[in-house]
Amino acid sequence: MTNGDASDNGVEDIIIARDVHKWFGSFHALRGVSTTVKPAEKVVILGPSGSGKSTFIRTINRLEEHQRGEIIVDGITLSNDVRNIDAIRREVGMVFQQFNLFPHLTVMNNITLAPMKVRHIPRAEAEETAMGLLERVGIPEQAEKYPAELSGGQQQRVAIARALAMQPRIMLFDEPTSALDPEMIKDVLDVMTELAQSGMTMLIVTHEVGFAREVADRVIMFDEGMIAEEAPPNEFFITPQSDRAKLFLSQILH
Amino acid sequence: MATRETTPGAILPPPRMTTGKIGWIRNNLFSSPGNGITTVVVATLTLYLLWLLVDWALGTADWAVIPTLGGTLVLGQYNSDSVCPSNDCFWRPQASLLIAMTYFGMLWAAAATALVRGVALTTAFAAAAMALLPLPFDEMGMDVRLLLVANIPAVFLGRWLGRHTPLGSTRNLIIIAFLGFITVYCLLSGTILGFVDIPGLHTVPSRFWGGLMLNILLAAGGITASLPIGIMLALGRRSNLPVVKMLCIVFIEFFRGVPLITLLFMSQTLVPLAFPRDFPLDEVQRAGIVITMFSAAYMAENIRGGLQALHRGQTEAARALGLPPWNTTTFITLPQALRNVVPAIVGQYISLYKDTTLVFIIGMLDILHMGSSFIGSNREFLPHSRELFLFIALVFWVFNYGMSYVSRRVERNLGVGER
Repeated sequence: MTNGDASDNGVEDIIIARDVHKWFGSFHALRGVSTTVKPAEKVVILGPSGSGKSTFIRTINRLEEHQRGEIIVDGITLSNDVRNIDAIRREVGMVFQQFNLFPHLTVMNNITLAPMKVRHIPRAEAEETAMGLLERVGIPEQAEKYPAELSGGQQQRVAIARALAMQPRIMLFDEPTSALDPEMIKDVLDVMTELAQSGMTMLIVTHEVGFAREVADRVIMFDEGMIAEEAPPNEFFITPQSDRAKLFLSQILH
Repeated sequence: MATRETTPGAILPPPRMTTGKIGWIRNNLFSSPGNGITTVVVATLTLYLLWLLVDWALGTADWAVIPTLGGTLVLGQYNSDSVCPSNDCFWRPQASLLIAMTYFGMLWAAAATALVRGVALTTAFAAAAMALLPLPFDEMGMDVRLLLVANIPAVFLGRWLGRHTPLGSTRNLIIIAFLGFITVYCLLSGTILGFVDIPGLHTVPSRFWGGLMLNILLAAGGITASLPIGIMLALGRRSNLPVVKMLCIVFIEFFRGVPLITLLFMSQTLVPLAFPRDFPLDEVQRAGIVITMFSAAYMAENIRGGLQALHRGQTEAARALGLPPWNTTTFITLPQALRNVVPAIVGQYISLYKDTTLVFIIGMLDILHMGSSFIGSNREFLPHSRELFLFIALVFWVFNYGMSYVSRRVERNLGVGER
């Protein structure tokens, strides 16, 4: 499955969001977001800054708490129950705009820490898995370096490997290429494309239109805390329905 | 459009910063008439003051006061006739030092870094070198000197124990540190924690402990205990649990808000309240507890500063990976926070060491007040109190500069991988 309408094939939804609301103080960041994601589906989330797209994917692993509505991830309803949150975070990997690698640990230890502490995998096995992941993202030779010794693109690939080491079923990407120099963006997008082809469920907040067209099964456009438009990439980029989407596309596709 | 071809020039070496020593002097000290005059004036003044100092130290000064005090500066009244009738208690502080050196050897084996090796060997050899002091043998006997030299084998014994026995694990080292302090206390006091006298050991109540030994003992206890207590207070103050948070704030603000001298006064009445009635708590323990708590309160705020400075993304990344809060603190935030505040922590240690002189407030004679009380009761030495206090200042400086040096090395070692 690479493209097309994922909602028809009868597979159970892996993420369900129903009428999700979120306030930061008095600012209404999410205003009733409802959507579903199927296993192995790739969803690209677009929208102007401040539209709530990052906030939305951060509610999925509860880095942000939603205050109204319901989010169900892999059959687990997100609530304040710590066990549920821990269970969901084991299933959901996340990649951040600023990489957020642990600067005091080597690349290898960045990747093996969580599997060893959370999943109680023995060190030797964790390191073997980590080397495999570093090969997959193309930088096995950097294993013993510290994050500050790597380029931005390499750091972001380590961050992807670190998230994958927990063997998540879902990967969230929060503007993974926005902090990168242009010549490094491709390396990271290549890794993400390979990951998409392997059947990972992915939610990606990005401004990379080319990537969205190539990889996404569906594009969701956020505006002012709501979903302004939701469509397969070919429809969204060629024949957008809403005026808001038309305006936004005219701004980003100069 | 035609493109113009350019030939790359030869790569030039960077311009020379200096042209030898004379060039450096000319560039830095005599770059203008004003600078030249300043250099001459400052250099003359410095040399003159230096000459005055050397002339005084080698000519006018009479250093006899220091050997006269001799061991009293190190042990206070511990080994005096009134406390230890046959003057045979000297080996107990020395054995305590040997215990400390053995422990340093274990740390050397466990940490396996050049820095810890350097600290262990330097302290052991410095202690052993004291055996060579040109004091008369009736003042410093052969037994004393041999026990000082024994610090060198002790450090290697510790290293061997750390390497070849299970004693060298981190958990065991923490337990050994704790037991070591208790052993030293029992050995020095000649009692089992003040409850029962140890047969064969003359009981020396802690009000007679003094001299440099007292400063080092209080500082070692404070330094060892105030860091973990400070960490717990800092974490507690950032806790989401209102009661824990409140208690930590009250504790920190109380100990930071009251002068240490006041706290030491209060230790006589306040600290016993925290223990069962009739619990044998002596001056050293009270002073030690108060100094440790005082230091821990400052330590907590230093560490909290280090925690606040961390980027929010660090905890978010750890949470996103499913690390529970306790693991996030232990492996992610705390190591980074501590690394950021090493200078502040060591500053607090230095300050703690100097503050140990304040125990004179509760009638204990540390090295400084051992000296001043000696001058007070031996008026013939009054003209030479300068020499004595200069010497004591030098003793403090050597220890504190040592800590400062170790701190700089730690910072450099921990800087690996940082921008």
